[in-house]
Amino acid sequence: MARKSKGRQKIVMAKMSKESNLLVTFSKRRSGLFKKASELCTLCGVEIAIIVFSPGRKVFSFGHPNVEQILDKFLNAQDPSPTNSTTLQLVEAHRSASARELNLQLSELLTQLEELKNQGEELMNLRKQRQDMFWWEAPVDDLRFEQLQILKTGMEDLKRNIATHTQKLVLMEQALALAACGTRSAHSMTPLGCTLGYGSEHSIEYH
Amino acid sequence: MTRKKVKLAFISNDATRKATYKKRKKGLMKKVEELTTLCGIDACAIIYSPYDEQPDVWPDIAGVERVVEKFKSMPEMQQSRKMLNQESFTRQRIAKTNEQLKKQLRDNREKEMTEVMSQCLTGQLGLHNLTLPDLNDLGFLVDQKLQEINKKMNEISLQEATQQEPVVIPEEAPQQQQVVPTTVSDNVGLLAGGVFEEQRLDIAGGSSDVDAYGLVPQWFNDAVVGNNATANDQNLGFMNMFGDENNPAAWDNYF
Repeated sequence: MARKSKGRQKIVMAKMSKESNLLVTFSKRRSGLFKKASELCTLCGVEIAIIVFSPGRKVFSFGHPNVEQILDKFLNAQDPSPTNSTTLQLVEAHRSASARELNLQLSELLTQLEELKNQGEELMNLRKQRQDMFWWEAPVDDLRFEQLQILKTGMEDLKRNIATHTQKLVLMEQALALAACGTRSAHSMTPLGCTLGYGSEHSIEYH
Repeated sequence: MTRKKVKLAFISNDATRKATYKKRKKGLMKKVEELTTLCGIDACAIIYSPYDEQPDVWPDIAGVERVVEKFKSMPEMQQSRKMLNQESFTRQRIAKTNEQLKKQLRDNREKEMTEVMSQCLTGQLGLHNLTLPDLNDLGFLVDQKLQEINKKMNEISLQEATQQEPVVIPEEAPQQQQVVPTTVSDNVGLLAGGVFEEQRLDIAGGSSDVDAYGLVPQWFNDAVVGNNATANDQNLGFMNMFGDENNPAAWDNYF
């Protein structure tokens, strides 16, 4: 299987020449930096502030507990800062509780994403296997006219079958809806209606 | 560069916590420096730890003062617009991850239905297994594939048309004469087996082992005609061509 990219390359520590790359790099690394900072705060319980100016003259900042508080602390280095009052501690405790919850939520989502990506990989492998086995699985561009002819017929066949089947299902559902409607008005429920859950609270439209 | 995955929670062990802090702080400062160098921008970092009265900073106190000054000189709104704390940063990441999840779901769905399409084609899977939404998605994919096929067939026809002599003698290029009607006609309204049967009847010398294309053995054409007559989803005419228990796709050899 051919690699899509060269993988992680050692990068020269100098200003990037291509602006498009520079912007992408800024975006990714800024995000990564904040992530590392956030982790440091959680793991070690420290206070932090980071200010980053973007190539586009915008400014990003990250702070824990918050940027302004840390900047004030820094700028007022001469005056000894008052020790945390009880209120501050309560606020901080509350904040870290919700931060923890959010972190949990994030981890769950990331795990889900990982699973989905694995599924995607498997599906891709399945497809590759089929492509190796059957000529009609190859990309359309690779096929000869006669092959396309045959494939086309098969696809059209399938299309018709799908249409037929879809119709069948739709009619079936409509019939069931009608049946449920009828029994509902008679104040009795057929076993089928019960199973399918067509209860009295549903209003069913039919043509 | 540790192998163990660290749980994202406050480290209770004092020694471990201090060691982690030293390592990660160093790494963080390095990252800040790299960011400024690679992108040619201004930045600073301030860290207050229980281990020191003085904060750990990057680049240095004077540098931090300069950047903070630059920051404060900006309008209030610009300052706060992209200001984040742990909570808001995490929310941002959650939103982004949700987007990625949605996209991956869509991708996987398409891949899955493509697989289903392949299996239906070979008769491995029957349509009765599918729900309405499945059938809808499948129909869409099939249409898409047909579009691609038609497009490619037209391309090829055009190529061959320009390459050939203006006057085409039927005997010399029987294939071309036979296939042109299909490519030119509207592909939406092809009746079951109709056009295909026409073409098959056009094939002269049907007694030979292979048809006029020289590719498909006669049993295939017989099978297709027979099955198209009934055309139920259990017995797709196409299925025989791709091989089942009775007729493994031996004619693959022709390609």
